[in-house]
Amino acid sequence: MTNKTTRLALALAFAFGATLGVQSPAQAQANRAEVLHWWTSGGESAAVKELATAYTKAGGTWVDAAIAGGEQARAAAVNRMVGGTPPTAAQFNTSKQFLDLIDQGMLANVDVVAAANNWDKILPAPILNAIKIKGHFYAVPVDIHMPAWFWYSKAAFAKAGIASEPKTADELFAALDKLKAAGLVPLAFGGQPWQEKITFYAWLANVGGPDMYMKLYRDKDVNLPATPQFKAVLASFKKLHNYVDAGSPNRNWNDATAMVIAGKAGVQIMGDWAKGEFATAHQTAGKEFGCFPGFGPKSPYLVAGDVFVFPKINDPAQIKSQQLLATVFTAPATQVAFSNKKGSIPIRTDVDVKSLDLCAQQGVTIMKDVSRQLPTPEMLISPDLEGSLQDVITKFWNTNESVDDAAKAMSAALKNG
Amino acid sequence: MTSRRPLLRHLVAWAALLPMVATVLWVYVGSVLWSMRISVSSSRTLPIGDFVGLKQYARLFDSERWVLSLQNMALFGALFIIGCLVIGFLLAVFIDQRVRAEGVLRTIFLYPYAMSFVATGLVWQWMLNPELGLQATVRGWGFPNFTFDWIVRQDAVMLAIVVAAVWQACGLVMALMLAGLRGIDESLWMAARIEGIPKWRVYLSIVLPMLGPSIGTAFVLLSVSVVKVFDVVVAMTQGGPGLASEVPAKFIIDNLLVRANIGLASAASTVLLLTVLALLAPWFYARAHASRRAERVARALRASATQGATA
Amino acid sequence: MTVATSSTVADGRDAPASCANAPVARKPARLPRPARIGLYVFLATAAIAFLLPLYVMVVTSIKPMEEIRLGNLFAWPVKLTLAPWAQAWTSACTGLECGGIRVGFMNSLAIVVPSTLLSILLGALNGYALSFWRPRGAQAFFVVLLTGAFIPYQVMLFPLIRALAALGLFGTLPGVVLIHTVFGMPVMTLLFRNYYASVPHELFMAARIDGGGFWRIFVQLMLPMSLPIIVVAVIMQVTAIWNDFLIGLVFAGHDWLPMTVQLNNIINTTTGERLYNVNMAATLLTSLVPLTVYLVSGRWFVRGIAAGAVKG
Repeated sequence: MTNKTTRLALALAFAFGATLGVQSPAQAQANRAEVLHWWTSGGESAAVKELATAYTKAGGTWVDAAIAGGEQARAAAVNRMVGGTPPTAAQFNTSKQFLDLIDQGMLANVDVVAAANNWDKILPAPILNAIKIKGHFYAVPVDIHMPAWFWYSKAAFAKAGIASEPKTADELFAALDKLKAAGLVPLAFGGQPWQEKITFYAWLANVGGPDMYMKLYRDKDVNLPATPQFKAVLASFKKLHNYVDAGSPNRNWNDATAMVIAGKAGVQIMGDWAKGEFATAHQTAGKEFGCFPGFGPKSPYLVAGDVFVFPKINDPAQIKSQQLLATVFTAPATQVAFSNKKGSIPIRTDVDVKSLDLCAQQGVTIMKDVSRQLPTPEMLISPDLEGSLQDVITKFWNTNESVDDAAKAMSAALKNG
Repeated sequence: MTSRRPLLRHLVAWAALLPMVATVLWVYVGSVLWSMRISVSSSRTLPIGDFVGLKQYARLFDSERWVLSLQNMALFGALFIIGCLVIGFLLAVFIDQRVRAEGVLRTIFLYPYAMSFVATGLVWQWMLNPELGLQATVRGWGFPNFTFDWIVRQDAVMLAIVVAAVWQACGLVMALMLAGLRGIDESLWMAARIEGIPKWRVYLSIVLPMLGPSIGTAFVLLSVSVVKVFDVVVAMTQGGPGLASEVPAKFIIDNLLVRANIGLASAASTVLLLTVLALLAPWFYARAHASRRAERVARALRASATQGATA
Repeated sequence: MTVATSSTVADGRDAPASCANAPVARKPARLPRPARIGLYVFLATAAIAFLLPLYVMVVTSIKPMEEIRLGNLFAWPVKLTLAPWAQAWTSACTGLECGGIRVGFMNSLAIVVPSTLLSILLGALNGYALSFWRPRGAQAFFVVLLTGAFIPYQVMLFPLIRALAALGLFGTLPGVVLIHTVFGMPVMTLLFRNYYASVPHELFMAARIDGGGFWRIFVQLMLPMSLPIIVVAVIMQVTAIWNDFLIGLVFAGHDWLPMTVQLNNIINTTTGERLYNVNMAATLLTSLVPLTVYLVSGRWFVRGIAAGAVKG
């Protein structure tokens, strides 16, 4: 080989070899835990900081692995488990998302921590059902979110002459009419499939009632959609479409909240994470905006949440870290500090909630009434079926499909799922 | 002159091509075979080795969303490719007219290619939103009947996506065409002037055919984008309103990641691949046929040339 | 058709005096005045249309959130602020850390440089072998390779993850470089193969007669001749790999996450608040690297493909 060729070959070998020779930094830290989650915004970061600080204080080392987007983060966790480099803990939702992982034996259980901390007694039923699979605890819950609060702008209500929060569906429609007459956008809506899905099941829970809701999502009753009561719910749900503005399709949920914040729109149906947007705009609950969780004093409180699962790792040090994480996450002080920053409510009711905001305090009080707790659909049905139902709802919302056809499509989806 | 030691020469070439062969076999053929295997199983979040026959395929074609996604891809593909080729060609021709600030103009048309769609898609969503963007602005200028709400309409949302996609891709096509134009010999223009042929005729009848190769490469690159179109749809409309802007890649990825249904996703990607193969196979065959003919002609010419030389 | 090498690229300057007696010996001749005006009008309109999204991005990135919430997309900011840019670079939250996108910058460089080098080298090698040596059956492999370019990456993830894990490369820098090389192979091979197809075969035969072997001809003759197309390939690969998110996320492991992961974390929070001005600033900052590569080699880009690269 000539000089030039040799030089070229050496250069390339060097370039590639340089990448091979690069080593990751040494990892000899006490109770090292790599935690994979999807909390990446400013507010969420502050919340994670509470968890990390608590863990560090308990003698651990927190290595952060954040990936925005729930699906991306969960997929990354699964990919890493398949590839043999799993994180110490990975975030999921209280749902059926991680059941397949349990079936394939890829998750470790935390029964030890659950027994030591009395999880059976202190956790609400929907959460317990989501994390206790076949008698073992496979996930640690960190928060409870309610995906269907009604947020409203006090200025907009004042302008439209609405005196009090609506207590029934009819009162809501009356309020929306008043907002329309006042020249405001009555319902701030983001026309993305997941938002339409949330609005639908919130409407079903409030207007159809918890029994009908459970019949659909827990029992998967194929004959339910054909009943006139269910069709009535579908019809009144579609009626909401008259109160959204022409620009609602495709809109991000934050942009809809922005309309409420600016007083351009009256009401938004969105989860309690919306408080983050209000906080960024320096608005406080009870002052510039109000919140109510549903229609009337016995409205259902939809329970969703985030959990962390623990991939099965054969390293006793890692197992110790996992158990320490589980203990720290559920400790009362951590729960309060985290909920404060996150906008969620703690997973246990035996904590001091004076430092939480108005809406969160309301939520905690409601949670004490067990009859009002309602699990979100993802806790009851597989992601696949949830997706199929979402397709039905989004088509119904966005086209002129008749109520009968939508009901038929729903029955078909239930049958196939 | 005969080729020396053909076997050894082929061995060296094959040795150099080893990475390509390994890639083709291991990565592409291997993954496709694996994916096909999964498509006849009931895998959800993780691969399972059972066998359920063609159940996933039946479910696939029962799915309104999948059928719609194929239709959308066809519509998008036709408009996008034609749009990019035409606009790219026009831009290239116009820039080639020795305009001032050519470098600046070229950069202006190329910069969209540098940006990923995650943020630019959101900007397009805002701009095309009737309440927020162009429609509202033009109405504010005093044209109350101006409508530009494609993106919120079921029947027109794919057009909106085509607009954003063409914006991003036609700079590259323009560059390809411009280079092709620059490669055309001087004498052609002189001859045309002497003959008195009008400029536009020259472009249409002479230049365009000469740009055949550039157009061919652009076509391949654009086709790959059409089949894999995902980012622009997710960033602009998330497949909405409703299901109206669903595309195959999004269907596949949704089922892979969100709905924990990799059996269905694999079936969908197998169908997609077969569709692509069915469309490409005639083109590949025609190219291979043409090149083999050209090679035979070239070899014959070389043979006769050397014969003539040694005679 | 004549093979146009870089020496005969005409960028509109005067031709040599070979047609000295012709009335106007330039290509293409100037258009009459009204057509010229029409030309500029068309180009200016197109330029404005192309720049509109960029204008919105820039304007959004220098507005405070209160103004963005009001929704006046095209309005110039009332209270102009450069804080979002500083935030995007140094202090935007991407998880527990709030270090902006700066964190991943070096990682992205470490991934882009070897990936680009390797994928271009292999593309050139493949194109060279396919064009000149044409071993039997290689064409079939090339066709399959090109078909592979149409498959969405996500479909190939699981088997690739398992393969890399078996090799011990999953989550390492060499692993992600390897994946980028593999995924870049179809287009790079296409590019170089077409380029070499327009190089006269006689050149190659002459080199062989002179005693050149496979590697010698490649390194000493073909590579130096390919400079223009290499510049094209560099531009395409740098853009694709720098903006890549999925491959970096899956294969780079925790220590080598590229800048696009931070960018995604800033922009795509699921239920967190969205600071659009920071998002826009972060996107513009991320795109500066490929944009700079274009600006610097914009000339070569055009000239490179001009050198007969695209014979299809």
